[in-house]
Amino acid sequence: MDASYLDLMMAQQEEVFEEAEGGGGVWLVADLSGDEIAPVTLEAIGAARTLADSLGAYVYAVLLGDGVTPLAQTLYQAGADGVRIADHVGLADFAVAPYLDVLAGLFEEEQPEIVLFGASDAGQALAPRLAQRMGGGLIEHVTAVTLEETTRAVEATFPVYGGEYFEVRACPEARPQVLTIEPGAFGEPFLDEYRKGEPTTLDVEPVEPAVRVQGPADGFEPPEVSLSEASVVVAGGRQADSFELVERLAERLGAQLAGDRGAWDAGFIGAEQIVDVRGATVSPEVYVAVGIRGDTFHNAAIEGAKFVVAIHPDPDATIFEMADLCVEARPEEVLPSLLETLE
Amino acid sequence: MDFTFSPEHKALRRMIRTFAENEIAPIAAEIDREHRVPMEVMRMLGETGLLGICFPQEYGGMGAGEAGYCILMEELGRFCTSTATNVGAHIGIGAMAIHLDGDEEQKRKYLTPLARGEQFAAFGLTESNAGSDAANINTRAVRDGDEWVINGGKIYITNGGYADIITIMAVTDPSRGARGGITAFIVETDWPGFEVAREEDKMGIRGTSTAELVFDDLRVPHENVLGKVGEGFVTFMKSLDMGRLTLGAACLGGAQAALDWSIDWTKTREQFGAQLAQKQSVQWMIADMATEVEALRSLVYRVAWLVDEGQPFTRLAAMCKLYGSEVASRAIDMALQIHGGLGYTRDFPVERAFRDARIAEIFEGTNEIQRIVIASRLFREHGVRISP
Amino acid sequence: MMRIVVPLRRVLDPAGIVAHRRLRRLFINREEYLIEPADHCALEVALRIKDDLGAEVVAVSGQPEPDDETLQRGLAMGADRAIYLSGEGFENADEAVMARALKAVIERLDGAALVIVGMTTLDTGQGQLGLRLAELLGWPQVTGAWSVEAADGRLEAVRRSGDTYVRVAADLPAVVTVPACALKPRYPDGVRLINVYRGEAGMAESLEEWDAADLLTVEEQAPLFESRGRDFPVERERGTRVEGTAKEAGMAVAEALRQRLRR
Repeated sequence: MDASYLDLMMAQQEEVFEEAEGGGGVWLVADLSGDEIAPVTLEAIGAARTLADSLGAYVYAVLLGDGVTPLAQTLYQAGADGVRIADHVGLADFAVAPYLDVLAGLFEEEQPEIVLFGASDAGQALAPRLAQRMGGGLIEHVTAVTLEETTRAVEATFPVYGGEYFEVRACPEARPQVLTIEPGAFGEPFLDEYRKGEPTTLDVEPVEPAVRVQGPADGFEPPEVSLSEASVVVAGGRQADSFELVERLAERLGAQLAGDRGAWDAGFIGAEQIVDVRGATVSPEVYVAVGIRGDTFHNAAIEGAKFVVAIHPDPDATIFEMADLCVEARPEEVLPSLLETLE
Repeated sequence: MDFTFSPEHKALRRMIRTFAENEIAPIAAEIDREHRVPMEVMRMLGETGLLGICFPQEYGGMGAGEAGYCILMEELGRFCTSTATNVGAHIGIGAMAIHLDGDEEQKRKYLTPLARGEQFAAFGLTESNAGSDAANINTRAVRDGDEWVINGGKIYITNGGYADIITIMAVTDPSRGARGGITAFIVETDWPGFEVAREEDKMGIRGTSTAELVFDDLRVPHENVLGKVGEGFVTFMKSLDMGRLTLGAACLGGAQAALDWSIDWTKTREQFGAQLAQKQSVQWMIADMATEVEALRSLVYRVAWLVDEGQPFTRLAAMCKLYGSEVASRAIDMALQIHGGLGYTRDFPVERAFRDARIAEIFEGTNEIQRIVIASRLFREHGVRISP
Repeated sequence: MMRIVVPLRRVLDPAGIVAHRRLRRLFINREEYLIEPADHCALEVALRIKDDLGAEVVAVSGQPEPDDETLQRGLAMGADRAIYLSGEGFENADEAVMARALKAVIERLDGAALVIVGMTTLDTGQGQLGLRLAELLGWPQVTGAWSVEAADGRLEAVRRSGDTYVRVAADLPAVVTVPACALKPRYPDGVRLINVYRGEAGMAESLEEWDAADLLTVEEQAPLFESRGRDFPVERERGTRVEGTAKEAGMAVAEALRQRLRR
């Protein structure tokens, strides 16, 4: 006997989406991070959803790689209505020519209105070529989107001078509108495990890449970045307790190690690593001050830092006047859990 | 009256400033501490062609004129007085003497490698008995066939310790004094008989070489006489005149640096609940400094223009040196006061600039001599001959 | 002889700009322009290839601009020729239009072996110019090259891949994009600098002005995007205390750092 209408309503029913016919829609090219879908792709799906809902369109995701078919479900869970998979050994490593060829062929047929990429290395390499091939407009490193209903144009916001301010642009006529989404700008959407779907597998014959990877660049030394040019700095002071933890934090964040004059007096750092008006002035994106009390001369040297985190046991330490994020605790109590969470 | 710099001078200033920020500023404290000449920087300056900035392109120079040279000295003086002094002694008096009075052969042989920065120059006039009284030199040059034999010595010769070519003044006719008795010679420092006796340990400009030279039967070929025999005094007066203008430009750079540091510090430093910049006494100090710097700037570049136009400039060049050295001293003194205790410590550039600035009132003709030059020229224009 | 084309752009010096967050206004205190740092490095890469192998380096304006000083700087550094594009209707050209214009320039020059251009712009952070051009020309692209060598119809480059550096190779002609910190650009030669700016010693002929209307139709000069204004970040709030035990604070800080550094 067939289940009654009521039974169906009451039952925990799995939702399977049926693909709509026809072109258009908001498409998304997925990135991989190791063997998983990259966080920026999930964030971009959130952005895609916002746009699609305003447009009254569907969100489709495209995933290219080798052995990636199982990952399609994550895309559905994040909010994609449809997923296309190109699973081929020739797509195992990212390369521009084969990926572009597959995407261009797909989009020629599907004629998307909007195409989103994550602003990863792959996305940044692909998006401009795809936009050019299809005659579309491209806005890169987008941190916010709104839709202009009348023209169905996306007003995209992106940072200028590294975030000093933002510009807003739109492509009123050129289609598709291609955007690369800046990592960390959009929130990660909630993954709904009950959302499932049947991905469509694309039949592909990937071309050879035009740029051949020959191997690791042995013996290549990138130019040194001085402390005053470093974009991330971790500085320890005399009250940093264990300087080893500070060093580990610097390494983990890929930051330059520095300190205040007290650290130099104590022998933790060399003279060229002193952050002080009498030493080096820094203006990094992120500055972490561990156990630094923050005298005038030190604080004057970090005026240009964009984001300052300070850890110090004394609640009256003057470093807290400079810091965006203040932790009133002893560094050796904070750093272990900090380091662990970063792993 | 068009007071704008030409496009090439603006581009030149930008290039020199970038060079100075990247190559000179990082080592300025180190060369002062270690008392060494930054030869690596001198070589880099040579490679860019800046060591021949005012000399004609046909002799390996840049052809940027006195204005270009003043720009070079100003920008170098901003970052490191020692480097400015090294460069100034090389271009402004060392090579300049050959440019002004050398014959074709001498310019081709000596000026060209100096302009290209392949060799370094110095100027040897001062002796223990002849400072301001420059004509009172004792170094003797005696003709011997095709050569001159020079005996004597010089003191306080900038670049003396490393120069390849030095223009030396020697007495060739003791009976005639300054008019007709002194001759200029181009000396190559690797010739036998030339010796660097010692280096002075100085209060400031410790990144320069200030050497005592000894000539012991130094043989110089006759074709190395610069200008005419007996007319050396004229040569060195002309060279020193040109050197005064550019020293004024270096002082301008130093004064500008003092002003910039002071403004930055008054923005950062807070006492009694407000920035120093909000205190009237400090505002007035800054205003005074800035006014003097602007006045000096106008003077220096106007005189540079006069030189490039071929007009007389001796009195005004002396004014550049006199006013420039005093403005720089006053500015760095005020800057030291503004920086307070921090300015007195060696980690901060103010104390080095304070020590470096003082020499400008002394060398290249003391300020007393400059005053005499200015007064005597001025009175002469009014028909009065004064005796100093 | 190999021809290398280097588009040069300029950018407003950020040191002279203040973005006032509370007033939500941009104040330009000092209007000075820099050569786009990534393009500056790209020119240095081209000049090093020229030093090694001999090549003709042609600097071309990478954006429509009211004066040609950026190109003069390129000539002073050592470029052999500079081409300044101008024209009515061209002033609003965006990257898509510039890419078409550059393709037309390359065709008029009878081709090139390499286009070397900066990876992203200092101000808007857009990296489209070089890659759109690569697509138009149908050439392979090497993005983010830290060092480039060219010989025998192919190039080898070192580029970053994740946390490591890898060697790649491609056939010429190709487009290479260079990041802003890849290497230290050389100082211009002093004599050359003076002659370029004075237009002496033959340098005046090295700077050519081409009319964009000769290269592109009116439709092709229409930009694809429109500006829709500016936005400003919220005012910086300092002194935010992190709640909880030291251990919890550590975790919160780690999350904040992760957020911040992914951007």
